[in-house]
Amino acid sequence: MSHDHDHNAPAPMVDEISDFEALEIAVREICIEKGLFSAEDHRKFTEFAEHIGPTPAARMVAKCWLDPEYKKLVMTDAIAASKAVGVDYLNPTGFGTPSDYTDLRVLEDTPTVHHVVVCTLCSCYPRPILGFQPEWYRTPNYRRRIVRWPRQVLAEFGLTLPAEVDVRVEDSNQKCRFIVMPVRPAGTEGWTEDQLTEIVTRDCLIGVALPKPGVTSNLELPVHRAAKPAQH
Amino acid sequence: MSQHDRTHHASIATGKGDPQCFEGTAGGPPKFKVGERVRIKDMPDIFYTRCQVYTRGAVGEVAVVTHESPAPEDEAWGHVDKSEWFYIVRFKQTDLWPEYPAAFANDTLQTEFSERWLEAV
Repeated sequence: MSHDHDHNAPAPMVDEISDFEALEIAVREICIEKGLFSAEDHRKFTEFAEHIGPTPAARMVAKCWLDPEYKKLVMTDAIAASKAVGVDYLNPTGFGTPSDYTDLRVLEDTPTVHHVVVCTLCSCYPRPILGFQPEWYRTPNYRRRIVRWPRQVLAEFGLTLPAEVDVRVEDSNQKCRFIVMPVRPAGTEGWTEDQLTEIVTRDCLIGVALPKPGVTSNLELPVHRAAKPAQH
Repeated sequence: MSQHDRTHHASIATGKGDPQCFEGTAGGPPKFKVGERVRIKDMPDIFYTRCQVYTRGAVGEVAVVTHESPAPEDEAWGHVDKSEWFYIVRFKQTDLWPEYPAAFANDTLQTEFSERWLEAV
């Protein structure tokens, strides 16, 4: 084996793609070749899937806060209740993909119990009602540690729970998928369903954050102002 | 040439859901009730399981009797003719992790098992 390679070779611009990405491309191309679906179908489906967001689940929680009868339905049959927020779990995509036919359960927080959801096996997530998982939800780091050191991991998300609140981790490893229904926060008295929906962010529905009046997004985009702005 | 029917699953689950499409196929009522104490068996798992190692041997309490479905150890291989009841079991964190702080002894973890993994305590 020669040892005359260039030690100063530049780092590659793009990392290698993972085995799973290569597998996805291979399977997709075979399906297109066999005519199971077309490239255009795939593009449409991808666009559809990427547009599903947490809003229906947020609205479900907001409706529960306002309507005890609806909440009863959510706690006993969340699949039926999700129709009221525009999600048909029994025909989740209209495309016949099987991976999202799952059961939906809602974990109700109380002033003394806080739930947080994980899938330690992979990244099971109620996609029809929440959309795609955030990247961190899929990482082995989150999956391994949240079951064992939940309070420490929640603190890393900025959620420090007092000792009188019990933490209950839900490892969703079978055919049930979960969302968390947080306690309605103080300062929201008299709010409308639309106002309440806005503060139930995705992270609140996973259980790594609590709703707060005024916080309507998980993402606060930092604005880096130019130090020496050009004058035109 | 063997042909695998790739639309089989969608055809049984659309309009019903999965696991709901397996309702009534476990061949009897659930063996355990909500509130019952159960131990997770430490059985060998060859090739595929969804029973996490961190729960093996631990004792918990049935929190929810969820549904009927083929066990993942069978379903992974396309064997869907036999179903089992599934249970969400709640554990005290201090029973799962020896180093879990005693100050938070009321913290819990829930996860789901098919009936074959559970035994009465």
